[in-house]
Amino acid sequence: MESELYLDYKTAYHKLDARVKILLFLIFFIAILQFQNPLWLIPSVLLVLFQLLISRSVKNLVRIRFVLLVLFISSLVMWNFFSSGVTPLFWVFEVESLMYSISRTLLMLMIVSMGVVLISTTRNEELVMGMIKMRLPYRVGFAISTSIRLVPTIASSLLTISQAQRSRGLDLESGNILERLKKFLPLLVPVFISSIRNTNIFGMALESRGFGAREDRTFYLEMKMGAGDYVILTLGFLYLIASIGLNLAGYGNITGLTRF
Amino acid sequence: MNDTAVSIKKLSYRYRGTEKNAIEDINLDLQRGEFLVLMGPSEAGKSTLAVCINGLIPHFHKGKMEGAVVVNGKNTREHTVSQMAEEVGLVFQDFEAQLFSTNVELEVAFGPENFAIEREEIGKRINENLAYVKLSEFRDRPPSTLSGGQKQKLAIAAVLALKPKILVMDEPTTDLDPISKMGIFDITNRLRQRSDLTLLVVEHETEEVLHASRIALLKDGSLVKVGPAREILQDVELYEKLGLMPLGIPRFFKSMGDTKLPLTPDEAETAFKKAGWKISSEKYEKMVEAEKSEQKALASKEALIRCRDLEFDYPSGVKALRGINLDIYPGDMVAIVGQNGSGKTTLAKQFNGLLLPSSGTITVDGKTTKEQGIFRLGQRVGYVFQNPDHQIFSETVVEEVSFGPRLRGVDKAEVKERVKEALSAVGLEGAEDQDPFSMTKSGRQRVAVAAILAVKPEVLILDEPTTGLDYREQHSMMEMVKHLNESGSTIIFITHHMWVVAEYAKKVFVMKDGLLLLEGTTREVFSHEKELLEASLRPPHFIQFTNRLGKTMLRVEELSNYIVGAKK
Repeated sequence: MESELYLDYKTAYHKLDARVKILLFLIFFIAILQFQNPLWLIPSVLLVLFQLLISRSVKNLVRIRFVLLVLFISSLVMWNFFSSGVTPLFWVFEVESLMYSISRTLLMLMIVSMGVVLISTTRNEELVMGMIKMRLPYRVGFAISTSIRLVPTIASSLLTISQAQRSRGLDLESGNILERLKKFLPLLVPVFISSIRNTNIFGMALESRGFGAREDRTFYLEMKMGAGDYVILTLGFLYLIASIGLNLAGYGNITGLTRF
Repeated sequence: MNDTAVSIKKLSYRYRGTEKNAIEDINLDLQRGEFLVLMGPSEAGKSTLAVCINGLIPHFHKGKMEGAVVVNGKNTREHTVSQMAEEVGLVFQDFEAQLFSTNVELEVAFGPENFAIEREEIGKRINENLAYVKLSEFRDRPPSTLSGGQKQKLAIAAVLALKPKILVMDEPTTDLDPISKMGIFDITNRLRQRSDLTLLVVEHETEEVLHASRIALLKDGSLVKVGPAREILQDVELYEKLGLMPLGIPRFFKSMGDTKLPLTPDEAETAFKKAGWKISSEKYEKMVEAEKSEQKALASKEALIRCRDLEFDYPSGVKALRGINLDIYPGDMVAIVGQNGSGKTTLAKQFNGLLLPSSGTITVDGKTTKEQGIFRLGQRVGYVFQNPDHQIFSETVVEEVSFGPRLRGVDKAEVKERVKEALSAVGLEGAEDQDPFSMTKSGRQRVAVAAILAVKPEVLILDEPTTGLDYREQHSMMEMVKHLNESGSTIIFITHHMWVVAEYAKKVFVMKDGLLLLEGTTREVFSHEKELLEASLRPPHFIQFTNRLGKTMLRVEELSNYIVGAKK
């Protein structure tokens, strides 16, 4: 069963230094927060799409399509409750609030996409290394990467368990929300138990291999910033500065948005 | 010079929250360079003793420890597990959970990195150890794409990279197919020849411990007997008394009244010829004929499960089944065997509609699985998953077992009746109110089987029903399955345990790379040693021995009954 999130391709994006990829993730996070108006987000959207394509990470996005769809629809509706404008459409929707919810939805999708790009193109160890080189303690970096690693493990045990319970006659597809939630109990208990068990062995295996034996630690993986890395990073910062600059200059807002 | 590598003195340990000591007053010394095998039934304390050596007890597990373990002069109480890692390497049974890197190289590097070894030296150790376990060509692969046997080899390489003086392996081959097991034992064999390394291996496959220098037998937390391997292995009675599997070969020669017992197929062949024994061909042919006509009688009915050109591709593009044609008849007891990843489980999941074919057809009782659907089909074809912990969720056995029938709308009185029947079929009468999570693995396995039986399926599929159980538990589990078969259920089981196949299957399907390589009565299949080897399988020593005599005998009793010219 293929369950790794990291996609072992050899694209140019994969070759980027992990630090650059982490920084790009943060840069986009800040840059897209600068705009309320979805039209102003179009360049960012295109940039994110471009990265998704060249890094060949779309596959991982497809895997979580249902979650994305739910988020997409609920976000598109919910933001209208929390914002209001001057040009009414219907019910809680105004032209301005709708625009605002579109941009918030795009923002969320873009951050998820950037996260997916980061995880699909960066090995766990590189991620840890990158974080350490950016002065995060080793244990913190290791904890973050471990929790990312747990996602596919839990997903695959969830799949086996749901097969086991469906074989016993559990029908997950019918019934109202409350009934369905109740049906998940036979899935959650075994997932929980087997995760605890696995984590226990994981902990033992870690210590048995000398985790934390010494204060200092060496790294087999080497990281070097190449010329390409610096170019990309410079472009990234230019984009960030441009976004902040435009915001400060008063561009990118929605006129008539009264509450958000 | 002191050449004691590990010294265990008056060691007792009780896990927190339990009332009994898991191990009791153990005294055992390991000499430098020796290869000691620890054997014993479930709950004997084997794993507990194993993790005492690198300090996981008392540091990781909280409980009450008495006595002392001294490894290379270091008392485990005074050093953390991580600090001990350079002295003692530990390989676990579960090969999934002990690997955590995204690539083979980095997995090996992890240990040395923790000890701040220089990068160049780490590179050297990676090369050395991957070459040692024959994984060099996989160095860039993610461990998750390796086979079970390869994963276990990687775990060994990763531990060896720390250059420990003592290597402890806790049932390293339990979940592996016979040839992957041999791969691991090949490594063990080379390791035991290194005079600087002391080996302690927990194992329950009796055939695999022939090369050990000493065997220690453990039961209920106490050492029963420690001695040279050959001497211990000849003690057939003691093995039976402890609930462990005695070797078939010495068992046979003992039943013939011999006192000097051969252990390997080679020795057995020589001893057999020397004794001047002959097998009665007439009786043998009669038995073979009887088996064939039994299969014929079964096949005269309409096939219950029928696959034609069955193919299945996983969404990832992996072709798991590549054109399977087979018929399974009502009342049969069928084993599906093959290497890890050969498609056994994928095939079995087609039988109850959990997976639907990508092309070709599969019918159950004449109707395709697709038109019947998993909900309806699950009623007729019960499927017991490999790991009982993947299905158990209730607080009591009764609730767990009645879950299936209740989902299917069976009325209360009937549910009660069925639970009673199912529990008595698996030998769990009176356990109704127990908490399944506090039961042993074999107990949980039984609960899982009962939960499926309560739905009253006609066909019962069991995926590795004996994995993780000791010999006595395996035996009683399979006896129970045999009873179900005798009372009319069709049984399909997947297994790596060849003796289970020999003892219980009427018919065997051998799979390799998504294809059926071999099918026939159990006796026929076991006579084809060469084809089995292609599928990474190997009959038990006893059957190999009888194959050399020109007849395939599945059980010790068969051979002793068919011998002519014995002096008894």
